[in-house]
Amino acid sequence: MSPIRTIGPFVLIWVLAGCASAQDPADFFRENCTNCHTIGGGRLTGPDLKNVGARQNRSWLAEFVVNPQAMIDKGDPYAAKLVEEARGVVMPRVAGLTPALAQSLLNLIEVESKLPKSQFAGLEISDRPFTPAEIARGRALFTGGRRLANGGPVCTSCHTVRGVAALGGGRLGPDLTQAFGRLQGRKNLASWLLAPPTPTMQPVFRKKALRSDEILPLVAYLEASAKAGGADDSAGPLNFFLLGLGGTAVALIVFGSSWKARFRAVRRPLVAGNGKGSEA
Amino acid sequence: MNVRSQISMVFHLDKCIGCHTCSIACKNIWTDRKGAEYMWWNNVETKPGTGFPTAWEDQEKYKGGWDAGEGELRLRSTSKPKTVFNIFHNPHMPTMDDYYEPWTYDYKALFDAPEGPDQPTARPISMVTGQPMDIEAGPNWDDDLGGSPVYAENDRNLEGLTPDQRRQLFAVERLVFFYFPRICNHCLNPACVAACPSGALYKRGEDGIVLVDQNRCRAWRACIAACPYKKVFFNWFTGKSEKCILCFPRLETGQAPACFHSCVGRIRYLGVLLYDAERIAEVAKRPNEELVEAHRSLVLDPFDPEVIAAAHRNGIHPSVIEAAQKSPVYQFVKVWKIALPPHIEYRTLPMLFYVPPMAPVMAGLEGGMVNHVSDNLFHDIDESRVPMKFLASLFGAGHEASVRYALRKQKAVRWHRRALTVGDVEPAVAERMLREADSSAEEAEAIYKLTSLCSFEERFVIPPAHREEAIEMMRDPLEHKQGVGFGFLSGPRRSA
Repeated sequence: MSPIRTIGPFVLIWVLAGCASAQDPADFFRENCTNCHTIGGGRLTGPDLKNVGARQNRSWLAEFVVNPQAMIDKGDPYAAKLVEEARGVVMPRVAGLTPALAQSLLNLIEVESKLPKSQFAGLEISDRPFTPAEIARGRALFTGGRRLANGGPVCTSCHTVRGVAALGGGRLGPDLTQAFGRLQGRKNLASWLLAPPTPTMQPVFRKKALRSDEILPLVAYLEASAKAGGADDSAGPLNFFLLGLGGTAVALIVFGSSWKARFRAVRRPLVAGNGKGSEA
Repeated sequence: MNVRSQISMVFHLDKCIGCHTCSIACKNIWTDRKGAEYMWWNNVETKPGTGFPTAWEDQEKYKGGWDAGEGELRLRSTSKPKTVFNIFHNPHMPTMDDYYEPWTYDYKALFDAPEGPDQPTARPISMVTGQPMDIEAGPNWDDDLGGSPVYAENDRNLEGLTPDQRRQLFAVERLVFFYFPRICNHCLNPACVAACPSGALYKRGEDGIVLVDQNRCRAWRACIAACPYKKVFFNWFTGKSEKCILCFPRLETGQAPACFHSCVGRIRYLGVLLYDAERIAEVAKRPNEELVEAHRSLVLDPFDPEVIAAAHRNGIHPSVIEAAQKSPVYQFVKVWKIALPPHIEYRTLPMLFYVPPMAPVMAGLEGGMVNHVSDNLFHDIDESRVPMKFLASLFGAGHEASVRYALRKQKAVRWHRRALTVGDVEPAVAERMLREADSSAEEAEAIYKLTSLCSFEERFVIPPAHREEAIEMMRDPLEHKQGVGFGFLSGPRRSA
């Protein structure tokens, strides 16, 4: 086998990997990191990364970023502390995060830490109670009554919230009634919405991100729904099933009555009427 | 003028003896398969009778054929909105009982039955369920007026008759029946083709044979409801519709279809007709009384140079035009006008024509003696036992003129031949009869020859199929000439 054949695929992978790592670290950070981290904006799920270089040495950081679970499994005490601070949430491995990219991310964090206000300082969201108008606007955004400005798909197409509609919303994604509680508050939820990190939502919203004037009402709405209490919307599927059953019955009755005079048989009635030369 | 060619047929009912040989020939070749047991692409019915499936002529129930109301042709059975509404259930389908539950007999019991006090019997076994069954009906249950108080009396064609005429039909020495063999009519305006939502049915361009594409059929069964002659059948085993294919594999190799070939009465004629496809829609919308004549006017004269030129322009091969000139069907339908389409009022424009049958003379019982009403050997056609109205309902869309014309001409031919061979009829009388019937001695001679002394080649003038031309329309035969090796159009199926 010629050397080119043996090496060829690896060269190809290397070139592709090169392309991936050639991605702008700032964009990568925005898409993958900002939903848990800020730089100078306080902690979200993960710690604030401002001056992180001062807290740990660079080689440790680089190793941790590439594979956090491995560090935890090794029994590293600092990694364990981080998990504890994040209330048990382990930082996931990020696809495409190569050691080289990790270095440039750390460089980026270093540079951004020195700025008075980093572009990754995160959303500032006040603690004041939301107004009913904001909640109503959030509901409208959630149900599609008002379109998302960047053309993202409407929330109800995949998610439901208790009391959102008679038959609930979509059931493809998780029920968001208690999402506010699960994500531990406004700031986390807002950051999450800024760049949704799950494999399903990330590709959908990468190009059609929510705008901050949409995130605030949505947070308001989800907060209100969480506070309204109640568990997830479990009655929805049952209602849907019963409605389907009733609808089927109604449809069958309508069909049956409109087809009362339908063709059933010719010969049997003929024989039963025993001819008489008339229409049997 | 848009000239097309159609392989058409004539069935001479005056010659049919009702032996069902045609049905058996067809059954053995084509429908002796699982799921096709109940099908009779060819069947022979007794008239009066309700036929197969029971009372197929009752379009109030079966909703077959076209409606020409409001100047527009519409299918009775379906339309686009109706298709949506009836998507799960087509309400005009014949039931299995209206055909019949196919059965066989447990012949093995005749040999294997344990010894007992009685002879063993072969019980009827359903070919659908495989269980013993009671036979309630069969494909020709009303054969030879069997069960006539139930079946024959309910013949739709008796509707125009007076109660008196109806009674007489079943009285002693007045009772009458004739046979009515049926296959697919390979219509010019086929309702089955129009109704198919999948586009699986089509009328073959080169010879007008109507076929079901077994790959495209999606079991909607709209064709079964739409065909007023009920000549499309659904195979419950393969889930596809099937119908008479006019034995096209035989036709393409120059042989007559099996039912034609096997006919012992030699009642069947087959040949090419050239017709004008441009006028089909217009003709199909004509009022009932004009339909027979209008349908006949679609058939073009294959000797007319203009028609020949137009046929050439449409790519009809000279050998097909030559076959059209020799076609016995052309003589019966267009020249002599004694062959008529069945139930033209369904407006599918059938291309199978029937020569209406002559029937025995009326008779009456007087003091225990049977007396003929007429002293004439060949009585007046109005004194025939089959009422003219009945034949008009079958072959004239309810109007007697065309049927009367055909019967008078046939009768005149009989007088003419009687004068020639026996001589107890004055030649002048025969001459007058012919003149009255719009005929001549030469024509009568020709009708007599093609009716009674016809050879195989005269009955079946099968045009060369020119499959090579048909194939060239679809694909280039030289496409793979320099390709590698040989192969399959679709992979061979092999067992493991």
